[in-house]
Amino acid sequence: MAREQELLAAFIEFADTIVDEYDVVEFLHRLAERCVKLLHASEAGIMLANRDGSLHYVASSSERMRLIELFELQHEEGPCLDAYRTGVAVHSVLKDDAQTRWPRFAPHAQEVGFESVSALPMRLRSEVIGALNLFSTSPAPLDAEDQLAAQALADIATIGILQERALDSARVVTSQLEVALESRIVIEQAKGIVAERNHVSIDSAFTLLRGYARNNNLLLSQTAQEIIGGTLSTDALTAQPGKDPD
Amino acid sequence: MSARLEPEHFARVLAARTDRDLDPVKSLCLACTDVLGVSGAGLMLGSRGRSLGCVGVSDHVTETVEQVEFTVGEGPCVAAFRTKMPVFDPDLADDGAVQWSEFRRGALAAGVRAAFGFPLFVDKVCIGVLNLYHDRSGALTDDQVGDALVVAQFAGRILLNWQADAPPGMVAWQLEKVPNHRMQVHQATGRVSVQAGISLADALVLLRAYAFAENRPITAVAADVANERLRFD
Repeated sequence: MAREQELLAAFIEFADTIVDEYDVVEFLHRLAERCVKLLHASEAGIMLANRDGSLHYVASSSERMRLIELFELQHEEGPCLDAYRTGVAVHSVLKDDAQTRWPRFAPHAQEVGFESVSALPMRLRSEVIGALNLFSTSPAPLDAEDQLAAQALADIATIGILQERALDSARVVTSQLEVALESRIVIEQAKGIVAERNHVSIDSAFTLLRGYARNNNLLLSQTAQEIIGGTLSTDALTAQPGKDPD
Repeated sequence: MSARLEPEHFARVLAARTDRDLDPVKSLCLACTDVLGVSGAGLMLGSRGRSLGCVGVSDHVTETVEQVEFTVGEGPCVAAFRTKMPVFDPDLADDGAVQWSEFRRGALAAGVRAAFGFPLFVDKVCIGVLNLYHDRSGALTDDQVGDALVVAQFAGRILLNWQADAPPGMVAWQLEKVPNHRMQVHQATGRVSVQAGISLADALVLLRAYAFAENRPITAVAADVANERLRFD
């Protein structure tokens, strides 16, 4: 596939992510594979930041054990961490940087057969959420065109992830509202049932329900649900120590 | 889309409408009417395709119309939620129209001549509808439509942020107020289910049908049932 077509395909795939539900890890795996084809890299991978600022591996172009280890090493030191912390792209010919820059990471990467490495920060405006990592068996640095394409792909990855987080957030909150409203509704329905069966006012019914829940160490919503479901009889509510129904 | 409506402008309008004694959703609805130049606005929330009810209105007329929609279960706003697209009825008195006739009857009786529903989207998730009502018939201008789409986004985010800040398992206090009279509907449902020996779902249907037949808002019927002035046995 021609270069432009590959980039276009990446954009189209990304567009899908903002329309429907999608699997972000799957998306990142495909993106890593595309990086390899587009940028003449040998391997690519994505690391994301935890809340404490350390990076963890998320997806890569292949799952060779030795490659994954290289990502795991970057928890403490390496091109991804540098790119993440500085927000600036990092490019390195490993034999030049082995001793000084990344004394633990660089020798390992060389052992696996890589001669150069790049890391592009994944950022949206002021927020950096991780890094896109590229490995090559050639010592040649990325040319200008490749650097631009690499950053574009890193940007796609960033938006895809933030999109998924935002989607989750909106759905999660509306579900929480739904659950909270639902449990309120259940309580109100139970008040009506208890009021009718026990021939008391709605407020007294509430007192009975609440008293039973407290005495039996239950949530009010649970008690209400049991009344509605019929597993708790309304008689049980009045048969309580020291409870004045009105 | 209008280039005029900036978040800062909407925030200023909202601040002008915010009052310690006024419920926050009402302030938000009033800000919507100010910015969009319509006579009334209401906000309804929903989750996973199910309506959770109206959480606030700008005024009494809108309250009446929202109750009509709740009672009859149809209207442009219900349609907007279902289809997740804006739905417009610029002339409720148009005799040629066939859809939501019961809604139109009730809305016209309340003094509303046009109704527009805009789905609320937060990050591609539809969380409800912004309902706009006007006391004169006529379509919204392109600018109004553009602004309404933006206002719907703001309102959606604001509502969701309130809920996100609520203690776990609880409805946000800002969203508590209006559902209260609907809580009475659920109390009434409980009573009726026992009185008539039917399920809660059937009891709600029965209440709605009765309210419709008697041409009364369901909340008024529910109040009567909850307070034992009306029975179904």
